[in-house]
Amino acid sequence: MGKFPPSFRSAIPSTSLIKNRPSQQLQQPHYSPKKPTKKNTPQPHETQTPPPHKSLFKTSSLNEAKILFNSLVSTTKPRLPDNLRLHNSFLQSYTSISTLDDSISLLDHMVKTLPSLSPDRSTYHVLLSQSCREPDSSLYSVQKVLNLMVNKGLKPNQVTVDVAIRSLCTVGRVDDAVLLVKEFSSKHSKPDTFTYNFLVKCLCKSRIFNSAYSFIDEMKNSFDINPDLVTYTILIDNVCNAKNIREADRLVAVLKECGLKPDAFLYNTIMKGYCLLNKGIEAVRIYKQMKEEGVEPDLITYNTLIFGLSKCGRVSEAKKFLKIMVESGHFPDAVTYTSLMNGMCREGDVLGAVALLEEMELKGCSPNSCTYNTLLHGFCKGRMLNKGVELYGVMKKGGMKLETASYATFVRALCREGRVAEAYEVFDYAVESKSLPDVAAYTTLESTLKWLKKARENGLAV
Amino acid sequence: MLPQKMKKAITDNPKQLANLIDLVNLPSTLRDFVGQSQISHLGCFVRVWSYIKTNNLQDPNNKNVVNCDEKLKSILLGKQQVELVELPALIKLHFPKQKKFP
Repeated sequence: MGKFPPSFRSAIPSTSLIKNRPSQQLQQPHYSPKKPTKKNTPQPHETQTPPPHKSLFKTSSLNEAKILFNSLVSTTKPRLPDNLRLHNSFLQSYTSISTLDDSISLLDHMVKTLPSLSPDRSTYHVLLSQSCREPDSSLYSVQKVLNLMVNKGLKPNQVTVDVAIRSLCTVGRVDDAVLLVKEFSSKHSKPDTFTYNFLVKCLCKSRIFNSAYSFIDEMKNSFDINPDLVTYTILIDNVCNAKNIREADRLVAVLKECGLKPDAFLYNTIMKGYCLLNKGIEAVRIYKQMKEEGVEPDLITYNTLIFGLSKCGRVSEAKKFLKIMVESGHFPDAVTYTSLMNGMCREGDVLGAVALLEEMELKGCSPNSCTYNTLLHGFCKGRMLNKGVELYGVMKKGGMKLETASYATFVRALCREGRVAEAYEVFDYAVESKSLPDVAAYTTLESTLKWLKKARENGLAV
Repeated sequence: MLPQKMKKAITDNPKQLANLIDLVNLPSTLRDFVGQSQISHLGCFVRVWSYIKTNNLQDPNNKNVVNCDEKLKSILLGKQQVELVELPALIKLHFPKQKKFP
């Protein structure tokens, strides 16, 4: 992977750009040993009682767990009995590495050895979330835990629903989650809005939209659970990401019919949708609509707007909005400036972008790696390679990652000027800093060199 | 946006990626150079390039040119000098499977 001891690097002529590096690396070890010793000594006093059950279980053997529990009870007798939390986390750490049946047996054992212990809902929730992770394809094990709960006189409540749904969704069993929600709603308790919206979000992500719609309809018709503004925002976000803006418009009409009033969040989402489609004018229309309806635009609104306008080449309008934004009391952040710089670079006004960088730093807003990548891209496109190389040096010093696009443009620009060795060095840095996968970095370099070779054969390049 | 593009590249062209990463049994000349019996196309390139750097084989007057030593010559068609531009192509010659890719 081209990894050498730092001492080697300075010896390599092609990488003379990074002369400063070895000295930096040498300095760090000098400082680092001091800090930990300083910090470490006072710490043991502060944390006198470290959690006793971190990586407690080495094996998933039930007997060993039982023995461990017995020893825990006998050693720390005075304060254990009334500490349900401790027992829950004890059970939790065992469940995380073992099967459901063993966990249930362990709980039985715990109750037997310690009669004062009375498991509550949260104890069963631990088991429940484990049961959702069981690899069987039916809801059998989930039902089992629920029955246990009911037998103990604990009726499942909204928290129970939430735990089950989230656990099911995180392992990708969205269909089962839908089934379970319906069952819960008819038998025990309805899901709260958070559970409901979470499930809608998972449905949008993993299934076609229609399944989300039919779920919403069904919940509305059978259990009288209506979608709220957050639900609509989730739907619109997903619709917009699929570039189906017309559907988003329809959804807005529907939600207005339901008597809901769109908020800034929702408008931002729609605006983002338009920006993805390069429709900056429409984004401005949404902005005006917001103003008309008395919804106050926030930082995200302005950032989206400036991003969208820059993207479709309306930089002057974007600049105008930057002014409006400042006037209305918002502080432009790195995202705002970077979007604007991106637009300026697209227009070929790299120097203007650099001026903006200075302005931005003057105002106390520090650029991030995205800003630098944008500028690097701009320099290469604007045929100001030397400035680009300079900037690359700064990025490298700061240990910033290269983005795929700017990496590719930079490599191409270097090769076009015949600076192949430097392109190789950039390749090394990209691999070393893990900016992009090795394969991607190599494919770019390879295809660029292939193109250069061809161009040379035709007498086109240096 | 970016990961999507990557994903697309992979799904469009799984073969090309695989050709770069898959371990390949090496012919004897290459085996002597890398000191292993198997290496991937990408790994081989990185190995050769780092060999050039550690041994200072780039021409001091023109960094884009590599003056091959005996060891390097044995795997790069016996050329005295190799331009960095052709390096990937020369290494590709050792991994002929790639050629099947349309």
